[in-house]
Amino acid sequence: MKTCLRLAAGGILALLVIAPAYANEKAEPDPAQSQYWGPIRQIMFADRVINPDTRDVIRVYLNLRADDASTVPVVVKAQIDQTEKEYIKSIYVIVERNPSPVAGVFHFTPGSGRAQVETRLRFEDFSFVRAVAEMNDGRLYMSQRWVKAAGGCSAPNGKKLAESLLGKMKLRFDDDMITYHKPNLVQLLIRHPNESPLAANFVEGQVPQFVRSVKVTFDGKPVMKAEVDFSLSDNPNFRFFFTPEEKGELKIEVEDTHDRKFSHSINISEGVPLPGG
Amino acid sequence: MHAPITIFSAVAMACLAAATAAPVFAAGTQSVENFEVTEIAPGNFVHYGSFDERSADNLGDNANIGFIVGDHCVLAVDAGGSLPVGRALRQAIRRVTPLPVCYVVLTHVHPDHFFGAAAFLDDQPQFIAHENYPAQLAARSRSYLNSLQRDLGAAAAGSEIVQPTRLIKKPLELDLGGRTVIVQAWPPAHTDDDLTVFDAPTRTLWLSDLLFVGHTPVIDGTITGFLAVMKDLRAIAADQYVPGHGRSNLPWPQPLDAQQRYFTVILDETRAAIRSRKTIQQATDEVGLSETGYWVSFDLFHRRNVTSAYAELEWE
Repeated sequence: MKTCLRLAAGGILALLVIAPAYANEKAEPDPAQSQYWGPIRQIMFADRVINPDTRDVIRVYLNLRADDASTVPVVVKAQIDQTEKEYIKSIYVIVERNPSPVAGVFHFTPGSGRAQVETRLRFEDFSFVRAVAEMNDGRLYMSQRWVKAAGGCSAPNGKKLAESLLGKMKLRFDDDMITYHKPNLVQLLIRHPNESPLAANFVEGQVPQFVRSVKVTFDGKPVMKAEVDFSLSDNPNFRFFFTPEEKGELKIEVEDTHDRKFSHSINISEGVPLPGG
Repeated sequence: MHAPITIFSAVAMACLAAATAAPVFAAGTQSVENFEVTEIAPGNFVHYGSFDERSADNLGDNANIGFIVGDHCVLAVDAGGSLPVGRALRQAIRRVTPLPVCYVVLTHVHPDHFFGAAAFLDDQPQFIAHENYPAQLAARSRSYLNSLQRDLGAAAAGSEIVQPTRLIKKPLELDLGGRTVIVQAWPPAHTDDDLTVFDAPTRTLWLSDLLFVGHTPVIDGTITGFLAVMKDLRAIAADQYVPGHGRSNLPWPQPLDAQQRYFTVILDETRAAIRSRKTIQQATDEVGLSETGYWVSFDLFHRRNVTSAYAELEWE
């Protein structure tokens, strides 16, 4: 087994684990016995207690057998409300057998309405997907799901993305109209190859292009912030909630590993149809 | 907020370089029993692969492969899903002719078609592939070798990655001696590196996975591209044809109809799902259920096709 574990300077976790060449189990292993999780947990959370009590704080929703290992929809849902007193500050989504296991770190506020995120992941091998919720007081809660999907990090999309489309974004709302004072579900689509270093003829000095950060604000106030990685599928995709109190500008700012910045915004107000269908 | 790219990528490259060294297997001794070929047109020999999931029992003999025999040369269309299958194909060629194998056409980057190619290395043929093939092969080879090992175990031994030696983007005419064969590269459809082979004297069209008969068609490229390419395929005047999977007695181009119906159902229903604001999960649960029962391995591939179609069509 060849293992490389590093913590890149600068705060974001850039963990890299090369899985053993042949992980042959077809049945679900015991999540507590995973040889992959130990080192990742150590680097990310050191000796902090995970699941200090039996509360049901966070859940991961995924199909056991993924349909397409390069595009696996995952939903991480908080089971508790976001309140000023107690809220989920961050959700870590970890695909423990991916070459870079931390797929994303998503940050929320009491104003997020609900700490929930959906995205699409690549799987290099059959793996546990773990979601760790970090509370505002620092407590950690985790749940996980086993997924049978392999080859997704190495399987690039067949289509090549035209340069002119790079960074183009689209917002799709779940509802036709906005409702103030309640969580509205919105989907963000970003045109980006989100290159996996495994999915290219890797030449020395070549930096794979993938989306590094996504920041969503409404009239300047944070809605959702995420640091992400090439474990996300190409054309990264997110669904999340936001709770507007009045009309304003929903703005998306995206940065990639080539230091390119992309942005997109729409004005939202009651009675104006939302993009979506 | 912004990660230190240079450090990240340096770590990534160091680790990945270590990981990309391909495993080396000792060539195994397993052989494919009762490997049959059928001469569907003079000089055109087809071996029909099994619909069963790849296993140590069938040794990855899952795709339709074959060869065309000229007066001077043999051209192989794909090599099957493992070294034993490639060897069986080579032996089948030797039962027919002692002529050299001058060309092996790698019709696209899927392992059920290419893993037998190592059986032809000693013949030193030209290995012909689409210009997009090498990038896809580089990207996928590690995981393909992994999953071959997972499915075949010891029988995966010797099934190496063989690099193409000649890349094409335009139709290529090859003279096998007394017969001209045209190898054609297509825009993205089933994959982004699909080739067809057309044997001019018998008007036999080898479609590989641009045509599935009976087996669930697979989209690993683009659904709209696949439909567009099928329109062009229809216009080819062929007397015989070889699908990538399955077989049929219908006259050309009728065998394209079922596949076209299937893709059209997915296309229409996925577009409708997107318009009515359904998620990708809802779409995969609901789209194309009317096609259940018409296709083998529907459970394995259909939802994946819808996933791929959704991710493509949500940008329209």
